[in-house]
Amino acid sequence: MDEAIDVDGCLQRWKKGDESAAEELIQHLYPVISKIVRTHLPRRDDEKDLVQEILMKTFSRLHQYKGDAPITHWVSRLALTTCLDRLRAQKIRPEVRRADLTPEESDVFDAAWLTGSSPDAGDAIAARDLVDKILASLSPEDRSLILMVDLEGRSLQEISETTGWSISKIKMRLFRVRPQLRQMIHKL
Amino acid sequence: MNTNEDQKWQDLLLHSTPTFAGEAAPPYGFVTGTLARLRTETRQQEEFERIGWRALLASLAALVIAATVTLSMNYMDRGGDFEPGVRSLVQMENIQVS
Repeated sequence: MDEAIDVDGCLQRWKKGDESAAEELIQHLYPVISKIVRTHLPRRDDEKDLVQEILMKTFSRLHQYKGDAPITHWVSRLALTTCLDRLRAQKIRPEVRRADLTPEESDVFDAAWLTGSSPDAGDAIAARDLVDKILASLSPEDRSLILMVDLEGRSLQEISETTGWSISKIKMRLFRVRPQLRQMIHKL
Repeated sequence: MNTNEDQKWQDLLLHSTPTFAGEAAPPYGFVTGTLARLRTETRQQEEFERIGWRALLASLAALVIAATVTLSMNYMDRGGDFEPGVRSLVQMENIQVS
């Protein structure tokens, strides 16, 4: 993906004050950051503001980028850290109960769990809200880890590179969080 | 039972997948807004740096002046007949020394 634009050239031009280089970098990094923010934060959080905040951080720390890995990797880590900070700041970890579900979420739940049938395609948002509610009771790190493994299908090595956590720490977290997740689903 | 619940969890994630997809391009006005904010923050950063340098130079100047005054006073006081402790006692008690 980094080959799509000349990242090194853009960085050099930006250092010299060329604003068009910043525009190219924003266009290049936006999809990467948008994907991370949308995955790791609950659906209703103000996504655009956070993407902009991450871009601001990126530009203010560009001098720290060594160029030994693609810039998208470096920015991904920054974006994930910012999302985790945002989740930590929210602090609320409500335990989801059946009574808290909206009628749409209940329908999705019944379709997916009780009858084993597939929910309608239009129920994606209700399914997402339900996923958010279930994951909300986990710690921010566990929430992100589950999504990286179960949704994105990332390997432990990839997760380690993105988060900076050791492989053994990731395994330990997964080992601890799986039963927690099952228990929450079981209670519903 | 665990496998069954895991499978159902995977099914639910699968159904919510479209909502996790990021946007391929920024929305209208986003780049302009971000560039404007970037411009403002860069300007503020430069301003802070300028203020910082001025404050540092002012502190250094004050330090040099204070050191100069202290050293010159010390040099001037060196010419008395008494040791510094005795001289201050004399001055404090206003003792007449002939």
